[in-house]
Amino acid sequence: MKCVTLFREDDHCWQAFGQDPDKPDNVVDTNQYVIRSGSAAILLDPGGMEVFPSMLAALTREISVDDIKALFLSHQDPDIGSSLPLWRRVCKPDVKIYLSWLWAGFTAHFDRDAVFTTIPDEGMEVSLSHDVKLRFIPAHYLHSSGNFNVYDPKARILFSGDMGAALVPADKTNGSMFVSDFAGHIQYMDGFHRRWLGSTRARDAWVAQVSKLDIHMLAPQHGLVFKGDDVKRFIDWIAGLDIGSGVASMNR
Amino acid sequence: MICRVSLSNADFEGLVTAMSQVSISARSHTQRTDRIEARANGLLGDCRRAFHAFGDLDELAENLRILSLNAELAAGRAGDKGRAVRALTQYTRELVNRLAQIQGEMNTLRRRTFALSSTILRGLLQMSLFERACGLVDDGEHDATAKAAVDRAFSQIMHMLVETLDDMANSVGDLARRAHGVEEVVSQSDSIATNIAIEAAAAGVHEKEFRTVSDTMRHYVDDLRKMIDEASDAVRRASEKGESLRRLGLDSLGDLEDNC
Ligand SMILES: [Fe+2]
Ligand SMILES: [Fe+2]
Repeated sequence: MKCVTLFREDDHCWQAFGQDPDKPDNVVDTNQYVIRSGSAAILLDPGGMEVFPSMLAALTREISVDDIKALFLSHQDPDIGSSLPLWRRVCKPDVKIYLSWLWAGFTAHFDRDAVFTTIPDEGMEVSLSHDVKLRFIPAHYLHSSGNFNVYDPKARILFSGDMGAALVPADKTNGSMFVSDFAGHIQYMDGFHRRWLGSTRARDAWVAQVSKLDIHMLAPQHGLVFKGDDVKRFIDWIAGLDIGSGVASMNR
Repeated sequence: MICRVSLSNADFEGLVTAMSQVSISARSHTQRTDRIEARANGLLGDCRRAFHAFGDLDELAENLRILSLNAELAAGRAGDKGRAVRALTQYTRELVNRLAQIQGEMNTLRRRTFALSSTILRGLLQMSLFERACGLVDDGEHDATAKAAVDRAFSQIMHMLVETLDDMANSVGDLARRAHGVEEVVSQSDSIATNIAIEAAAAGVHEKEFRTVSDTMRHYVDDLRKMIDEASDAVRRASEKGESLRRLGLDSLGDLEDNC
């Protein structure tokens, strides 16, 4: 599994893990992120159980599992957190698990013994260390009805979950974790956003909300990371996209 | 200007289909997990078969109860000639109660067994994932803490599995005892049917009625016997597999401890 450092300043660091060449083709590719500050780390969307072995192996090249103080699950999907019971087997027993209050009882189906720190609808701020604070910002209905992004104002990175997700066929990746040709990348995001997102109101609110943030990188849970001007390009693109395409198949 | 190129529907559906077809066979297994998994699947299959064989037990018990009520009425009509049959039907009712009790215990046992199977299946899945992680971490490029963390998790799961397999072996033992209980009911019902047939021969005008009772009872006894035959084969296989799995689990635990 590939590991790319997105940001590093002193002991504050963001790393992305993904594009696992050993992953079975029928399992959708996911990105997992770790934010570190000193000896504290948080794992964002730790992934499905199928990617757990490679993710664990890739992560432990970088940090000790004992440093993982928290796991963050943006929403309830299996590609986000079905590995939860496995992570809890290697992490310290007091590892915090952040998840929307909406999904605690549902995600318990993956792991009935997990204790969640539930995130209220309006989000919350957590301190990873003395000087690294993270904001869990609401992204409800995009696509999940209880969904959060993670914003790190110091690193100027927004982990956007399924927003910005792209399903890039393995033979179309060029080895990089970053979008290099925004126009060419649209084909891999278009179908996903049209079909997976349902609420225009939520999309508009999200666009308004993230437009106020200073974002240098927008890091989705699938596909490639947007950097610099591509962040604005993505926000403009999603703002004008016709979403909720599944509705057309009803009442026919 | 941003150019919008849509992924064609076929391409998109192709991706989505690929995403939705999650197959377990895609997962690479190692020999140890494979052996445990194959035997555990066999064990669970045998348990399912055994419980399935007893699936009609409640219906048979109910039929037997109704038969004993009808026989009692017939015995009442026969007056003195029906005295012995009346006693036999009362005995039949006790057997029906035994069956109902066994049936209740079997239901509890079934719930427990299926809960244990789901724990075993979950454990096996986790074990195979950790086994893969063990292989990846053991590449000389990871530090000792990574390997220790993975080994610890693996051995925790193995402990949990061995404990659960132990419980499962006990459950299979309980199931075998219940099956034996049904067997006793069968042989006693069989002799009751024989005795009613003997009474029928001396019952004069009531002979036909008593003979019908005895024939119907034989019919139920045959059904019960078939049930027992099917179930005991599954129970025997389950016991063997349960025992060999427990040993395999214990051996693996032993190996783990030796390696630590
Ligand atoms: Fe999702
Ligand atoms: Fe996702």
